[in-house]
Amino acid sequence: MLLANLVEGMTIGSLYALMALGLSLVYGILRVLDIANAGAYTLGAYVGVLTWRLTSSWWLALLAGAAVASGLGWLLQRHLYVPILASGPIVPLIASIGVFTALEEAYRLLFGPYILKLPARIPLPTVRIAGTVVSGVQLLVLMVAVAAFAGIALLLDRTRTGLAWRATAQDRETAEAMGIDVGAVTGRIFLLGYALAAAAGVLVAIHYNAVSPTMGDMPAYKMLAIIVLGGLGSPFGTVAASLLIGLVETFVAAYVGFLLPRDAIAFAALILILLLRPQGLFARGVAAR
Amino acid sequence: MPLLEVEGVTVRFRGLTAVEDVSFQVEEGEFVAIIGPNGAGKTTLFNVIAGSQRPSRGRVRLGGRIITGLSPAEVSRLGVGRTFQIARPFGSLTVRENILLAAGREQLGRAWASLRLRHHDRAAARATELLLRRTGLEAVAEKRASELNVGELRRLEIARAMAGRPRLLLLDEPAAGLGVDGILPLRGIIGDLRGQGVTVLLVEHHVGFALSLADRVVVLDQGRVIAVGLPDQIRRDPRVIRAYLGEEEQELEPAPAPPAGEAPGPREGGRAEGVGGLA
Repeated sequence: MLLANLVEGMTIGSLYALMALGLSLVYGILRVLDIANAGAYTLGAYVGVLTWRLTSSWWLALLAGAAVASGLGWLLQRHLYVPILASGPIVPLIASIGVFTALEEAYRLLFGPYILKLPARIPLPTVRIAGTVVSGVQLLVLMVAVAAFAGIALLLDRTRTGLAWRATAQDRETAEAMGIDVGAVTGRIFLLGYALAAAAGVLVAIHYNAVSPTMGDMPAYKMLAIIVLGGLGSPFGTVAASLLIGLVETFVAAYVGFLLPRDAIAFAALILILLLRPQGLFARGVAAR
Repeated sequence: MPLLEVEGVTVRFRGLTAVEDVSFQVEEGEFVAIIGPNGAGKTTLFNVIAGSQRPSRGRVRLGGRIITGLSPAEVSRLGVGRTFQIARPFGSLTVRENILLAAGREQLGRAWASLRLRHHDRAAARATELLLRRTGLEAVAEKRASELNVGELRRLEIARAMAGRPRLLLLDEPAAGLGVDGILPLRGIIGDLRGQGVTVLLVEHHVGFALSLADRVVVLDQGRVIAVGLPDQIRRDPRVIRAYLGEEEQELEPAPAPPAGEAPGPREGGRAEGVGGLA
């Protein structure tokens, strides 16, 4: 029971981390809280369903979902966020809420208000560890998440691109004076950020076997709280905060879940932690990792 | 052909004219200083050259090519490196990372090349080591830039600007806020640049510091060029002395503090040989 909750908590936390990382990277580079990122999560899930129906392939579903959402992210930054960036942080925030709402309505019109299923078969065995069953889907989520985190850590820490991203996040103007193409940096970060959210969407769709137009509602708010908890813009803090919330809500729901629904527990925990540490758990910048 | 040509540049902010009809040229390999009292328009002029300020009138050419209207990143990629008056390092990156970032910037435009692991880029790593040594920053190479003192920050600014192997280096008041012990090593580093064949345009408030380094001096006052000439001509120019009177005449006195240890008059390198002291 304990171990089963641990595995499920890590799985949920990893999904949160995939989503929140995208949001956190985008925040780091533009200082915009991009609610529409949760729209990419839902978009990924729908593209995943369609791709799976056509090909019966879970990994093509994952790839297609991420690719289409990347495109959305690139278009949004290029034609919406960057042009209105000069008007201060509130304007892009409101624009992103508008985009998120519009996307939800678009999904509802295109796919109907129903729950679609994504019963993809994952070619991973069900593993038994110390009497606990770890499902193939859980394994897949954990593997994708670990690969993504390792890849991003390597990118930020060890490559020149990562150096340029961190520099741009810290001081756009100086980065520009040094010849860094900040427009291209911003574009690439949105490509990655939206791909991560969409990957989370496809994995959630497989995990719960359900996709609906409003599935992004709860993540939209929860991710905001998580990146604040993780210290706004710090990728390491974001992952840590995501795992923490995943674990807390799973454990509390398992033991005292009859009192409160799961999401309420997550938010109660977030409020409690932020009351104690208003600056977040890891208050550093994206550049500070 | 001169490397840099500034032609009739005027910058107006609302009612205020910060720079008015300024023209001058910088030859390849030359070391030119722009001096002038506070508010003379030095930094504004600098920003026009670097692309971060659009002039109201006039234009700037680099190697014959008009660069007015280009973005700072584009100007930088054409070979103009700059430092900032207020040092702006990437504070959470280490000193080495700050330089390395600039050292391999030609790759930043190419997505895949820049995804290679950093330590595989030997050329950039070598250039970085060399600059760390030249600017005396080896000992603090692994420190975060936010932990440096003012003197080290200035040197990092120069190392970072040099890392891009600029055709033209713009130095914006590198000596500002430094004491004598900070200025001395800085002077050595900037003096060495000449030996490396770098073309330098220095903006400086510290007159003594600028005159001791430059081949040629452009004097700005209230946005206009009031004198151009060799350092020793400038020292004696009555218009220049008048422009500085009341504000910082002490800087035109003999043996100014900045180039400490160096007697006014014959400068190292032997240029302006035999010319006497200050006016």
